[in-house]
Amino acid sequence: MTHPLRDKAAVSGIGETAYTRGTSKSALALQLEASLAAIADAGLSPRDIDGVVPYFPGGGIAEDFIANLGLPDLTLSAFVPMGGATCVAALQMAAMAVATGVCKNVLIAVGRTGYSGARVSTRLQQFPQFALAAEFEAPIGMFAPAQLYAQGARRHMELYGTTPRHFAEVAVTMRRHAILNGNVVMNKPLSVEEHHASRMISDPFRLFDCSLESDGGAAVIVSAADTARSLKQPLVTIMGVAEGHPESPASIAQRPDLLEFGLVKAAARAFPMAGVGPKDMDVAEIYDCFTFTVLRQLEILGFCKTGEGGPFVMDGRIGLGGELPINTHGGLLSQGHVVGLNHVIELVRQLRGAAGKAQIEDAEMGLVTGYGDMGDGSLAIMRRAA
Amino acid sequence: MSTTTAPPAPERPLPTPTRESRPYWDGLREHRLMLQHCAACGKVRHYPRPVCPHCFSMESAFKEAPLGGKVHAWTVCHHPFDFFFKQATPYIVALVDMDAGVRINAPLRNVAEGDLEIGRRLRLAFEPVGKDITLPYFVADQGG
Ligand SMILES: [Zn+2]
Repeated sequence: MTHPLRDKAAVSGIGETAYTRGTSKSALALQLEASLAAIADAGLSPRDIDGVVPYFPGGGIAEDFIANLGLPDLTLSAFVPMGGATCVAALQMAAMAVATGVCKNVLIAVGRTGYSGARVSTRLQQFPQFALAAEFEAPIGMFAPAQLYAQGARRHMELYGTTPRHFAEVAVTMRRHAILNGNVVMNKPLSVEEHHASRMISDPFRLFDCSLESDGGAAVIVSAADTARSLKQPLVTIMGVAEGHPESPASIAQRPDLLEFGLVKAAARAFPMAGVGPKDMDVAEIYDCFTFTVLRQLEILGFCKTGEGGPFVMDGRIGLGGELPINTHGGLLSQGHVVGLNHVIELVRQLRGAAGKAQIEDAEMGLVTGYGDMGDGSLAIMRRAA
Repeated sequence: MSTTTAPPAPERPLPTPTRESRPYWDGLREHRLMLQHCAACGKVRHYPRPVCPHCFSMESAFKEAPLGGKVHAWTVCHHPFDFFFKQATPYIVALVDMDAGVRINAPLRNVAEGDLEIGRRLRLAFEPVGKDITLPYFVADQGG
């Protein structure tokens, strides 16, 4: 039986600001700037937006969008508080809204001043979902995702022989892709040696294993597929989309298996909903908060077996022209950190055939993951419709 | 006499015990590991929370647990993230599967990183850091 949401929604518009380190704009201004770009890309007017999912916490609530964009009749406002899994999970909510007729065009927007504003070290303790980490882990010197995820990476290395060379391959490939993209924070080549020589942050993570602290905004519009067909851009539909939450969602340390997270459950739903498997993907945009998390997600998504994520990324397999090109825009590691909405935008661009120098020939189908909040996961599979 | 004023020393981030977690923190202050057990099904849980996720009982009791356990994973923190920990870097934080059946994350002292491996035995120790708060850390388990 075909899933009732399959191919019912489409990403009809995409928009980004410049990705930078240093901005005088507020996170809200960045969200709105990207939103206007996405609305224009779809060929819509701001007046056509009737659903809004701003990024929280990140400066922007429904009232701000109504006031700034003059939205005449908002029928849905929501937050999806899943950290880096937010943007892809928001696609599920938006797809449900447009498929049921609650909304016609839902705006998902992110604005972040991750460099100019609150830095990563202080963010953790401000979020309600991290209250346990703030009580039990911050006092013993564990604050940042880089530290908390590093323990899982260490365990993976000990159990499966994963090495820093595998991590470096991810970092170097993302950088190579970023250089092809004009709008990135990091635009100089990165070598394996430079990766290995970069300063240690939380062993085994070095500087170049960690995603960027950057400033920027991104936005997408989700419309009913029938509506999107008559809009400005080639039709890119959402075949399957899901979110998943791990056991012990607020603390990695208490999770029975550090290496199991919400993407396991999201993948088990999104692939059957789409009616396709990992082998059908022409391109994959994988949430790269850390190099290691890319390896582990490839295992969870079924591109390889558990423990084989390291060897899988080698030999050019995840580069352009490889078996599975990954993060063709440069990702969070080299393009910029807008909580993964840039991954969604890049997938849409690839499926439209509009990815410029990074375009994968005949890219028809691909996936994008979200990963955040200590292990929440989300997955969307999209295709270019005939 | 110097006229320069030293900047205030950075403060250690401290836990704020809640109604659920107070017995755990009181236990550490008394140099005991107190873990929450379900009064109905007997299962142990950590971190403390109001309801047993196995049988949904809201009745529970804190019981003293043994201090030994085995290494599950670790990281060596080089970048302090919080300025208070700058002096301490690099420091190891070990994640330990306690014999009591829960996992505890705490700094590891007097063990070299090169001597660490999954399954190595460690033992919980106690460091008073204020009138009210004692924090856990790990040392080698001589008995193991
Ligand atoms: Zn129980």
